Amino acid sequence: MTTTNPTMTTTNPSIAIPIINPAVPRATGNHSALRTRSDDMRAVPAALRSEWIKLASLRANKAILVLTPLVGALISWALASSATDKKLTASELFIFPLPLVAMLATATGILMFTSEAQHGTLAAALTARPTRWMIVTAKAAMATMVGLVLGATAMAAGFGGALLGGVDVGDESAIASRAAWALLYIALGAMIGLGVGMIARHSAGAISGLLMWAFVIESLFAPALPDGVVHFLPFSAGYRLLDAGPNFKAPVTIAHELARPEYALIFGGYALVSLAIGTLLLYRRDTN
Amino acid sequence: MINVSGLTKRYGERTAVDNLTFDVADGRVTGFVGPNGAGKSTTMRMMVGLTRPDAGEVRYDGVRYSDLQHPARLVGAVLDARCMHPGRTARNHLRAMAAMSGIPVGRVEQVLAEVGLESAVDQRAGGFSLGMRQRLALAGALLGDPQVLLLDEPSNGLDPDGIRWLRNHLSAFAERGGTVFVSSHLIGELSLFADDLVVVGAGKLLAAETVQAITTRQAVTVVAETPQPADLVRLLDAQCFTVQATGDRLVIRGTTKAAVSQLAFENGIRLVELSESAQSLEDSLLDMTSASAEFTSA
Repeated sequence: MTTTNPTMTTTNPSIAIPIINPAVPRATGNHSALRTRSDDMRAVPAALRSEWIKLASLRANKAILVLTPLVGALISWALASSATDKKLTASELFIFPLPLVAMLATATGILMFTSEAQHGTLAAALTARPTRWMIVTAKAAMATMVGLVLGATAMAAGFGGALLGGVDVGDESAIASRAAWALLYIALGAMIGLGVGMIARHSAGAISGLLMWAFVIESLFAPALPDGVVHFLPFSAGYRLLDAGPNFKAPVTIAHELARPEYALIFGGYALVSLAIGTLLLYRRDTN
Repeated sequence: MINVSGLTKRYGERTAVDNLTFDVADGRVTGFVGPNGAGKSTTMRMMVGLTRPDAGEVRYDGVRYSDLQHPARLVGAVLDARCMHPGRTARNHLRAMAAMSGIPVGRVEQVLAEVGLESAVDQRAGGFSLGMRQRLALAGALLGDPQVLLLDEPSNGLDPDGIRWLRNHLSAFAERGGTVFVSSHLIGELSLFADDLVVVGAGKLLAAETVQAITTRQAVTVVAETPQPADLVRLLDAQCFTVQATGDRLVIRGTTKAAVSQLAFENGIRLVELSESAQSLEDSLLDMTSASAEFTSA
């Protein structure tokens, strides 16, 4: 052992000779080889597999997966059976539960990171894969998948619930387009949740902050803001990706609406920026 | 071989780790010792890239941790036994870890058996005792069949049987050529199986030597009882030894029993009792770190 500390210098050459029992050799192989960019690319599927195991092995996530279609069916059924305006159809009502499902997806996105940070498993992941961007890529892909699955199950259940509520199927030609925009909305919501989780690193703080923003700040204060500002509020913009015809009202009325792709860019921009800030912080912060 | 060089970490005004430089040799168990707040955990976190050092670096056979192709196959680390989701079973916890490192899933059952958790594979970690968590964390470190084990206080929460098992396991790992770097504040426990010691206090390196080197340097205390204490004290003072007298009983440091016996005999001083005791390794290390201990009891 050799130390070069100025206060002490100790050299003991005998320590440098490893004591190896030749009868029980250690695993061989050059494990101290240098990592290359192609190694990183090859490791992405492994990171995805790990994230999937983490996601699928928690009861809370399974509960959300069960809860989502129930919520979707219940909301659509309740709206359909209580609607006095019988112009509403199942092909419109099936996306009505999605604002609530977006919140579930956002909360799941938050928990994908914060539960790891709080329980210390993030440290294990970063020890196994010190390349931070790989962890972010795997989590972002998984958050997108969560959004798509929750959105799809909620819409399918919502459609069924609306039919059970006694409304007609309606114009089927718009269903695919509405579903596609809705899926984008939910998937981006999950990614915003992941980004916010990466920034906040605290489950309760991130979820309550996000709910406060979506339901209190945007819903209560946005009506007092001019259109030019409201367009750029994240959940107001995200909400406008949902298209359910003239019977579907956004909570905040805007005189001059932007086109749906523009709202998608604004909502997607929030997802991208929150993930970028989260990634930067993941590189800069110490991990406990 | 692990080379830690000039490692420094500051939190505001406080320097948690101060220019730490030492090596950890292959095939040996190296104990990492220091009082609470000495910077042991911070150092170990910097060794696996979880904490960013303000200066210095750590290399494994010349390669930085973040540049390793298969970190988990070279280094197995347990830095906090609580690092597991309470809602996940032991098997799923390890499956996720194995998948992240591209380790075959069959290895999960092997390491669970190795740490004695075969009967708890499908139990959720939230119901585990601290000792079981320590074992599961160690299983995670062993997943990649690593060449290096970095363990921060691994015996916390283990029962005596578990501590013995851990001690034997780490010794066997080192005997097979593995590198073990293990921190502990239980110096007596560490002295039973560590080959080398790195001693830190207030973030600074105090010693980095073999246990044997520290043991041979340990201070010897001679206890003498004589009906002529004043005469013996005068003679010992003249020889510049440290003497503490309580009645007829003298505690002498810096000399040996033989030397005191010779001195008394040559000067006609009768001795009723003469004994010698060596300071324990624990006492030596506590002496070494006492000046830098952040938290001490009254």
